[in-house]
Amino acid sequence: MEGLLFYILAAFILVFSLAVIVVANPIFSALFLVLSMISLAFMFFLLQAYFIATVQLIVYAGAVMVLFLMVLMLFDLKKEIDIFSSGQRLGGLKIASAGLLTGLLLWSIHYSIGLFQLQPEKVLDAQGQMEQTKTLSVILFTKYLFAFEALGFLLLLIAIGVVALSRIKGGTHARD
Amino acid sequence: MPEISLFKEVSLHHYLILSALIFSIGMIGVMMRKNLIVILMSIELMLNAVNLTFVAFSYYLNHLDGQILVFFIMTIAAAEVAVGLAIAIAIFKKFKKVDIHFFERLKG
Amino acid sequence: MGSDILEISINAIKLIVIFLLMVQLVPFLVWVERRGSAFIQNRFGPNRVGPLGLLQLLADAIKFLWKEEFVPQKGRAFLFYAAPVVALLPGALAFAAIPLSVPVYLEKFELFGQTWGPYRIAIQGYELGIGIVFVLDASSLGAYSLLMAGWGSSNKYSLLGALRASAQVISYELSLGLSLVGVLLLYQSFDFSDIISAQVGPLSFFFAGHDVKVPFLPNWGIFYQPLGALLFFAATFAETNRLPFDLPEAESELVAGYHTEYGGLKMLMFYIGEYGHMLVASALMVTFFFGGYHIPFISIEGVRTFFLDHGFSLNGSNLLTSLVFHLVFLLKVLFFLWVFIWVRWTLPRFRYDQLMDLGWKVMLPWALCNTIVTALVLLVAKEARF
Repeated sequence: MEGLLFYILAAFILVFSLAVIVVANPIFSALFLVLSMISLAFMFFLLQAYFIATVQLIVYAGAVMVLFLMVLMLFDLKKEIDIFSSGQRLGGLKIASAGLLTGLLLWSIHYSIGLFQLQPEKVLDAQGQMEQTKTLSVILFTKYLFAFEALGFLLLLIAIGVVALSRIKGGTHARD
Repeated sequence: MPEISLFKEVSLHHYLILSALIFSIGMIGVMMRKNLIVILMSIELMLNAVNLTFVAFSYYLNHLDGQILVFFIMTIAAAEVAVGLAIAIAIFKKFKKVDIHFFERLKG
Repeated sequence: MGSDILEISINAIKLIVIFLLMVQLVPFLVWVERRGSAFIQNRFGPNRVGPLGLLQLLADAIKFLWKEEFVPQKGRAFLFYAAPVVALLPGALAFAAIPLSVPVYLEKFELFGQTWGPYRIAIQGYELGIGIVFVLDASSLGAYSLLMAGWGSSNKYSLLGALRASAQVISYELSLGLSLVGVLLLYQSFDFSDIISAQVGPLSFFFAGHDVKVPFLPNWGIFYQPLGALLFFAATFAETNRLPFDLPEAESELVAGYHTEYGGLKMLMFYIGEYGHMLVASALMVTFFFGGYHIPFISIEGVRTFFLDHGFSLNGSNLLTSLVFHLVFLLKVLFFLWVFIWVRWTLPRFRYDQLMDLGWKVMLPWALCNTIVTALVLLVAKEARF
């Protein structure tokens, strides 16, 4: 059962991710990315990471991708004629290098079989999900407290930076 | 090296292979596409692939720290998208297009 | 999840029934909306077809079915058709995660010549330990149908409505989530059933060494989190795009906003989505702040013994108890749905900058303040029991 779900979700994710980079219209690639994010969230459910799955849905599907779509619709882009950046030879080189990296990764995964002591958790019921979330937050606020604070500081900096960037005037939209 | 049966039972390596494939797709997108926003989306794909690895390890090694890292990655990804889109809007205001080529002309 | 065939089929049927409950409430709500608006504006409203105009719904449904199907010439047909279907998703997904009544315990019984083991059937689509977060993220998917509709119909009014809607949904989602943090801190759970079972009995809590009891008030969340309740309710208005916040479909500026190009059954599906969102918002309001399915001052055991004393079997009285509590829940939800309609026909629309100011400069700081104050109070009143 779990295997079947895995293969269905994996097929969804791969097809949608491929569509993201192949489709000519950026709005459609954003929509495909949303679908692939949602499939990935369900895969996190399958891996018993309930809180992370819901955060994935809220942050990626609920906020980040809506932002992408909004910006794309604001731009009102015309249909792109050549969507890829390079010629045949350079493009082939790029794909070959990506294939090389994939092969390297797959080879190392193949050789790592049996290195880990696998002890998967059981399927969690409603109570177990609560317990897991609680443990997660305890770890976050004790062991990773410094990282958490640093992240908060980073977010503040980025908020200021984005406001500063979006105030740039120029080009066709300049008022003065 | 023990034999694995890919189609019988799902194990850690299935998730790792899937993650490697998504990562490569994202990487091809970053290298090949012209549109700045599609490049940002491909970066999101790569980050998601890394998240999948972390969650899979966290499940199979029964260790919750992996999920904390995913949490951090998601926060940083959201922030990165905000900055990236702000830059894209600035580029669009200047050139009325969001091609990656226009970055060459950004001087001063 | 089910362990044998009967339990699995009961669970499957339950999901369908909950979805149909959501869909079937829509014609009724449309009727309430039209009659209610007429009542507020001193008109009659639909009153010709059937008693009190109730059959108007049927006539409307038949009219919707016979409308012509069309796609705008320059529209993207796929997105244009997909948007109304996607509009149904968030409401349906979120509503199925909310407990609608007391779980039913069934003892062993005979059916089809077989004995079926004892069951515990939750009156809820699916039980999730993190149900609250799940409901929040299901409702955050609501922006997509608007964006798809706006862009798919290739109409400037639709596109403007969709852009406004997505900006509004993103802005108000923050205060929506933050206003709930106080509730989560209070009950220390992400589970709806924990929150509901904590709201039984008269108002009584333990604060700084004193037992406080108020025998004439129920132990509802609104007495602990009044500001949170207010912020939450206001944010749900923005999330459902209902009137003080209906900028996405402001008819005096944008014709009809994102559904300008829609008609017939597709339009009806947008309606179902909107009313489904309202239903979820009201159900959440009841669950968090008004005691869920509980009747104030009457316990579950009391109702069950009432049915047992009147000659029902154990299983029968369990089922009837669940039904009674479900009706109470629906009654509370209907009250909040009426408030939605009431507000729509009473308040004028915001201007767009007022809307953004309200979201970012008023509601967000107050929600943050509510969170901090709740946390501080909980820290002072150590070992607080609610």
